[in-house]
Amino acid sequence: MPEVKTSRFKSESVKALANENIQRALGAPFAHFVDGRKSAIEADYTEESWDSMRDRAAATKAHTIERLDYYLDLLDKNVRRNGGHVHFADDAAHANQIVLDIARQHDVKTVIKSKSMVSEEMGINDVLEKNGIKPVETDLGEYIIQLAHETPFHLIAPAVHKTKGQVSELFEKFLDSAPTEDIEKLCLIARDVLRDSFAKADMGISGANFIVAETGTVVLVTNEGNGRMTTSVPRVHVAISGMEKLLPSIEDVGLFLRLLARSATGQRITSYNSFISGPRASGDEDGPEEFHLILVDNGRLNLLKDETLRESLGCIRCGACLNHCPVYRKVGGHAYGWVYPGPIGAIVSPMLTGLKQGKELPYASTLCGSCRDVCPVKIDLPKLLLDLRHKIASGGAGSMPERLGIRQWHNTMKTRKKLEGSARLGRLLQGPIARRGFIKRLPLPVVSGWTKSRDFPALPPRSFAEIWRDELSGGDRS
Amino acid sequence: MPTPVEDPNKAAFLARVRGALGRSTPITVTPDHPTLKTTLPRHEEKIRTTQARTEARRPQNIARLETIATAAAWNVHRAADAEEAANAVVGIAANIRAKNIVRTAEDLFKRVDIDASLRKHGVSPTVLASGRSRRKSDLKAIAFKADLGVSGVEYAIAETGSCAVFQRKGIARIATLAPPVLALIVQESQVLETLDDFFAIVRFQFLTNRTRLANYYNFISGPSRTADIEQTLTIGVHGPGEVHMIIVADA
Repeated sequence: MPEVKTSRFKSESVKALANENIQRALGAPFAHFVDGRKSAIEADYTEESWDSMRDRAAATKAHTIERLDYYLDLLDKNVRRNGGHVHFADDAAHANQIVLDIARQHDVKTVIKSKSMVSEEMGINDVLEKNGIKPVETDLGEYIIQLAHETPFHLIAPAVHKTKGQVSELFEKFLDSAPTEDIEKLCLIARDVLRDSFAKADMGISGANFIVAETGTVVLVTNEGNGRMTTSVPRVHVAISGMEKLLPSIEDVGLFLRLLARSATGQRITSYNSFISGPRASGDEDGPEEFHLILVDNGRLNLLKDETLRESLGCIRCGACLNHCPVYRKVGGHAYGWVYPGPIGAIVSPMLTGLKQGKELPYASTLCGSCRDVCPVKIDLPKLLLDLRHKIASGGAGSMPERLGIRQWHNTMKTRKKLEGSARLGRLLQGPIARRGFIKRLPLPVVSGWTKSRDFPALPPRSFAEIWRDELSGGDRS
Repeated sequence: MPTPVEDPNKAAFLARVRGALGRSTPITVTPDHPTLKTTLPRHEEKIRTTQARTEARRPQNIARLETIATAAAWNVHRAADAEEAANAVVGIAANIRAKNIVRTAEDLFKRVDIDASLRKHGVSPTVLASGRSRRKSDLKAIAFKADLGVSGVEYAIAETGSCAVFQRKGIARIATLAPPVLALIVQESQVLETLDDFFAIVRFQFLTNRTRLANYYNFISGPSRTADIEQTLTIGVHGPGEVHMIIVADA
């Protein structure tokens, strides 16, 4: 599993804010995502309204996840009936072992991969390399970050933080190509190198965008065509997926393809959709001789157990919440410290890798609600982030000064006498720093950060209770 | 093909999932989900209505397919008959000066005789299918060398400008994938209105005769594209960079 750096959100954010390339990448390219999505939805491609589609998708996901054991069983039976193998992996190490076993059994030397976020969770590339097997990422963005030894910056645009100049330098260094700033030429360089890998690879590893339980079908969505290559050309195909990606019926797929393409890239449909239900049949001309599906838990049970957070398992990884998040749009994907960035990452990453370590992430949100408004499956992300904050605060994972402060507050509010007493004390203490009803700077170690960009309202000379008692209550009290 | 064995970890894995959901026993009846719970007679009725609607709206569907496919960077050709369709393929081949052409082995090519038309122009397409003279393992190398691939389709979908290509005997996946230029021949009767129509038909095939349903099918909805470098759209990364859809009138 790749190193979990979720505890460094604040320090990494500071670095990202000072990084020119990251700040450039977070500008125009993301406006492109936002505008593309908006115009695709407004173009009214379908008779059904966008909102009604989202409602149906949310209901379908909730239905499936609440009966996940049933649908996993149905899926397993059907994939095997189609001649494919199904594996249930408890965690990343278990999943890696399954892949290695399959690779050894088939004497695999090289592996081609199309994009899979779960394989990022597993750190499969490092594991394969350590075992003498060469993995090659084939999604262009993934290929670039594989050369650079980095993790994805974005769910669907993993190398969006790299400039064409940086890509050219990487290609020059690793592929011996001539330097160029021409993006089309850069794509062609990668195409030629990767075509060679496609032709030679023994095994293809893919992810899965959706998995249909009733027919036992893995649905794979790519724009480049690398998904088709990965699943068609090598002798063995291994699809790796989180255990939550199920849909009941093939008739549910149309809805989700519409939602995913519009939300992710503003397309009516992604260029290529592959529907894979098993290995090649005896009459078929080509395709892999063996098909394996690995369903991975790797901490998802933590989400499933929690009736509130369970909703996040409906995520279809479109990336729209990232593109619309004011925090992600300033700090980018690497600050989040693990595989999943942005608002959805701030929920999923701590729950998959440890809440104590990832306790900064649920606070990496202004709770503005943009993520919820654009989510194609209507996940109420702000609600889930607040729930996580609640868990952090009540579970003792909050900071010591915060807990002391809350305890003091609790104590003060117990009796009227204590409240009025501390108000008097407060007015006395604020004397030197309050100006015209506001405190511009709190000179205390923990709270001084609060007034860096805000003014704190000062306590008024007299409280409402005092005014009431002295002037407004008249003689009623006597 | 023998059914692969069940993973010994499955039972424990599913028990944990069930436990997390707060249940102790498995669900034994088909859950009440709209797309799962239809009976076969009701699904048959749905397919009949779909077919009737598809036929009634055929001209509109074809026009919509053409508009949407064109917007998604397909080159759309309309052919009044088989000869025009074959000539369209010749035109594409001439335009790119194709030397190595591959095609699938479908009955369609008995009607749309591209072999004869291409031979008149001095090129002879290779039929990308195994047989007496060719092993399955040879197909990959031939396809990777080709500069034009030609195939029929199973369906086309107007809503998304997609062609659905199914893997079958005589139809290699690699024929529509490896060549940098692709020409797909769509017969008017194959045009469906929506994605949902397509999936209803697939599910009907599954429910009635699952062994006949291909283990692999694919939507091709335009040229291969990427925006992975600086969000700049570039065409033709791994799949074909130039795609042609030839819509031919039914015989």
